[in-house]
Amino acid sequence: MDVIGLTPIIPILFAFALPLTSILIKGNRKLIQAYALTGTGLTLVSSFKLFQLAYASENPLVYTFGKWIAPIGIVYEVDKLSALIALITAALMFLIAIYSYRYLEHDEGLEWYYTLYLGLESGLLGVLLTGDAFNLFVMIEVTSIAAYALVMFYRDRGDSVTAGFKYGLIGAIGTTMYFIALGILYGAFGTVNFAHLAMKIHLPAASFIKVSSGYVTLDVLLKAEPTWNIILASGVALALATWAFLIKAAIVPNHFWLPEAHPAAPSPISAILSGLVVNVGVYAMIRFLYTVYSDVSGELAHVVNVLSAVVIALGAVSALFGAFMMTIQKDVKRLIAYSTIMHMGYLFMAVGVGSSLGLQAAVFHLINHAVAKALLFLAAGIFIHAVGSRNVENLAGLGRKMPIATFSLAIATLSLVGVPPFNVFFSKLALFNALIEENFGLALVLVISSAIALFAYMKVFYIIWFGKPRKEIEVKEPMSMSLVVLVLALTCLAIGLLAPVILDKFIAPAAEQTVNYQVYIKAILELASKTLS
Amino acid sequence: MIAFIWSVIILTLIATIMISLYGISRRPNLVKKLIALTIFGDTANLLVVLLGYRLIYPVAPPILPSLSKEALQTFVKTAVDPLPQALVITAVVIGMAVNVLIAFAIVQIHRLYGTVDTRELSKKLIQVEGGEQ
Repeated sequence: MDVIGLTPIIPILFAFALPLTSILIKGNRKLIQAYALTGTGLTLVSSFKLFQLAYASENPLVYTFGKWIAPIGIVYEVDKLSALIALITAALMFLIAIYSYRYLEHDEGLEWYYTLYLGLESGLLGVLLTGDAFNLFVMIEVTSIAAYALVMFYRDRGDSVTAGFKYGLIGAIGTTMYFIALGILYGAFGTVNFAHLAMKIHLPAASFIKVSSGYVTLDVLLKAEPTWNIILASGVALALATWAFLIKAAIVPNHFWLPEAHPAAPSPISAILSGLVVNVGVYAMIRFLYTVYSDVSGELAHVVNVLSAVVIALGAVSALFGAFMMTIQKDVKRLIAYSTIMHMGYLFMAVGVGSSLGLQAAVFHLINHAVAKALLFLAAGIFIHAVGSRNVENLAGLGRKMPIATFSLAIATLSLVGVPPFNVFFSKLALFNALIEENFGLALVLVISSAIALFAYMKVFYIIWFGKPRKEIEVKEPMSMSLVVLVLALTCLAIGLLAPVILDKFIAPAAEQTVNYQVYIKAILELASKTLS
Repeated sequence: MIAFIWSVIILTLIATIMISLYGISRRPNLVKKLIALTIFGDTANLLVVLLGYRLIYPVAPPILPSLSKEALQTFVKTAVDPLPQALVITAVVIGMAVNVLIAFAIVQIHRLYGTVDTRELSKKLIQVEGGEQ
């Protein structure tokens, strides 16, 4: 089997087999942990291989499920952007699996935790690799259901269950909106495949693409004219889909579930939710605006421009809102959750700009934010684990007792506010350059919100380092957790130091390939004609 | 006439969506919120099934009785579009999973707080001053 098809299959197989396996091994925690590490580790190897393949090849890689070619069956189409984000996702999931073991040492139900955890990983990878809009819907739902359930992991605590309920309700509305959008797209274009949609949207221009085999049926199928008014249909469908992605990425005014859901989950899950799950919305938005609707002209361009303007405005509001809300939080995880809203605002601003520079900045920031935010939640989780409280005041003075965790927390906070030479500084610089081309005000929003965030982080850091402990607690640094955060902290530093190389070698080619819809269509067509002849 | 009926159906469905969204956002009872959510999901499904329908006579379900050219021709002439049905059945299954999960959350909220009314719930929800673990 192909490595593309294999990557999301590995975690789902491990997830489905885990409840049964845990009965066989009588719920032995060490064996369950080894099982989870094997599952996430194999996925990491597979996605690394995928990453190498995608960067070695000119065209996007295509995998057909059951040999059904593109518009008929479901295909997975992996370009450099998907492979890059998939690698980051798999790597973080592996590291966080190591971290989870110590964090959950007092809790029951490790096997259920890892069942959902692996399901979540499979959903995330599926979202990133898929080349089919309907499969994207299914994979978003797989991700979401696992995420709702993981938020409710502490099921005897009222705040977790209530937060999970709210998250589930608003998430279900969002995905149903996306489903209606899919219906409209299918009604108008007669297809839900990304490449085929892109082809039909660019129809006069895309007719240059010749199918080399002599099969008339394929040609007729591919080039059939859209049946409805595609401007109206695209407008309605894109508006509904964007609404769904805004809910998934927690952009104001759809943000209200996030500050409750992310802190209520166990800290490793908070790290995944804030670092990886919210990326789903951004990635899907990039796929729609930059691949399917890239370089459109005429009325369609007007639709896309209006949509981009809305996305930019909401992103700017989110960035400022998140920054202001950060300053008044007492709960350390809630503070970090508001920071996520702020960073999602930046990402949507960059996505809305619509230039190649904006896309590069968005992709780079997405990766840096995933690493740094996961690190921040994990480092804060070590303190929370030691004290058993999320209130900043209760964490006072702990910093000196846990040097590695404090060091990592410092790097994470410095990185997220954008202090050189850490990674987020360089992506914020790229964002600044992209935004200032569009509008000076947007660049100003970026700077102001970063400054406010700096203030909020420094307050927390000051209390943890210099604060007087409320009561003397004996704490020892849990090594397996500290080592994970140390690795992530060094990654932050390394990405920062190597930023120009990474931008040049990985980010720029990925962005370039994403906007090139012609290559995206061609990869599918070549495979189709090869299969038919 | 057909256009009129068609638009009445579409408008009814959109009105149902609006009412269900109102129910989700404004009803204080959590169970009623869930019921409104299922109405919303089912309306969306119906809307998508409707896309595959064809305004022709006779119209047949998308089943190919035998693999021959004549059968295929009548199939193309009369059958409705099967793809929206396939999409909807997937969405129904996924919707069930989400609804079960939300129903579990409601049961658990009732166990913990003894109420499913959001107004009473917000009074009882004390700000947890860090209750991790």
